[in-house]
Amino acid sequence: MTKKILMIDDDPDFVSGIKAILDKAGFEVEVTYNPKDGLQALQTKQYDLLLLDIMMGRGAEGIMIARKLRKDAKLREMPVLIITGMREQIAFLFPGEPVHPRFVEVDELVEKPVEPKLLLEKVDSLIKAAEAKKAGK
Amino acid sequence: METKSKILIIDDEEVVLDSCAQILKGSDYQLATATDGTSGLALVKQYQPDLIFIDLKMPGISGFEVLEKIHEIDSTIVAVVITGFATVSSAVDAMKAGAYDFLPKPFTPDEFRMITHRGIERRKLVLETIALRREKDMLREQFASIVSHELKAPLGAVQQNLFALEFDLSDLLNEEQKGKIGRIKIRIDELLQMINSWLRVISVDINKLKDGFVQLPISTPISKALESVASLAARKNIEITSELGENLHPILGDSLSLSEVFINILGNSIKYSSDGTRVVIKAEEHGNIISVSIKDSGIGISQEDLPHVFEGFYRGKSGQEAASGYGIGLAVARQIVEAHAGSIAVESEVGQGTTFIVNLPVAAA
Repeated sequence: MTKKILMIDDDPDFVSGIKAILDKAGFEVEVTYNPKDGLQALQTKQYDLLLLDIMMGRGAEGIMIARKLRKDAKLREMPVLIITGMREQIAFLFPGEPVHPRFVEVDELVEKPVEPKLLLEKVDSLIKAAEAKKAGK
Repeated sequence: METKSKILIIDDEEVVLDSCAQILKGSDYQLATATDGTSGLALVKQYQPDLIFIDLKMPGISGFEVLEKIHEIDSTIVAVVITGFATVSSAVDAMKAGAYDFLPKPFTPDEFRMITHRGIERRKLVLETIALRREKDMLREQFASIVSHELKAPLGAVQQNLFALEFDLSDLLNEEQKGKIGRIKIRIDELLQMINSWLRVISVDINKLKDGFVQLPISTPISKALESVASLAARKNIEITSELGENLHPILGDSLSLSEVFINILGNSIKYSSDGTRVVIKAEEHGNIISVSIKDSGIGISQEDLPHVFEGFYRGKSGQEAASGYGIGLAVARQIVEAHAGSIAVESEVGQGTTFIVNLPVAAA
């Protein structure tokens, strides 16, 4: 079955560069360009993976989404690939935590821009890890 | 609507208060008065005036004391002293104590108006200066995220689309076309790296690093750095060999920023090396110093340029123009090493190669 991915990122040009790769690899990609629409999509539809940008709008609005996901019993199980332009900033937002913040149980962090090979590897492994986790329950 | 400027007059002579009120009547100021220092000070907190006139000679607490207390409450309030005994020395003393100006009694309405006007202007200037300074600090703090968004984001989007294009066309592109895309990718990547270096200089308060120091083996940051520059080295077919001494004592430091040091130096060595040459990174212990050397057989740095390589934004005048500048990285490296109570040095001979040496003290047992 085709895997559905939601991407939340406010930069349409960047989105097009990611979406093209995922489209070609056979994923079904939906995009929202702000956290609010993103959250609404997450709450109303079913996705196999979330691609989340951190720095949106007036600051680290992606963090807000990540925090909401963490609190939601159902959404918490969805794998998240965080795509960020600023690794240092993440460390700063979560002082004392390692550079890679564990927002939800299955997540990974890659930096913008991301090479197609790495992107597809991460997407595949995250979806598989989440499925394995679910099956194991 | 702009709020009216507020003036407070503290004087024990009712006649002075009345005449001042009379003079300012119909002007654009709000006025409050007090007849002694204690009630005047209470008003300072409550009324928050822009300008205060204080009579130096009052019963109860003295004008000088009031002046001092006002500045404790809010040092931006402009104070003008009224001196009944128009002696220069008391006025000078008051100004030493922080008064902006003095007004000798008796004064004419014009004198009072003029000094009021100047005092209010002064207050505006003081507040504006503070606002500007705060803005400057904020800009500096925010600069990191601004730079990141304004420069990195577009470049990242360009690169991402290039990746997508190459991915999409992978079956159609011939070798020459692939080569061209490869070149574009490398140049964009270098730009991104450069922006990242700038960001690190601006956003990291290097002295704050010390709070997070832990004991760690020098091999930790070195391995991380080697991992990070591996693709850069592979692109130029440069072999990096590491010779890390055994049983080296740990150092006290921050692993991430130290790996930054080695990334910057290794990156520099790779950039200025010819294809197919070798870079050697060595770690040894001498006394209670861990000494890391990074040696390349690249183009070298001229004696003339050598003293400046750690200065930042400095790029060799002589040397080969082909390699792109990486000056800021070495300046950052030096700052980080110095924050670790260490030192960084460079030796070089044109045409022979360059050796960077980072010395770090071992952690006290």
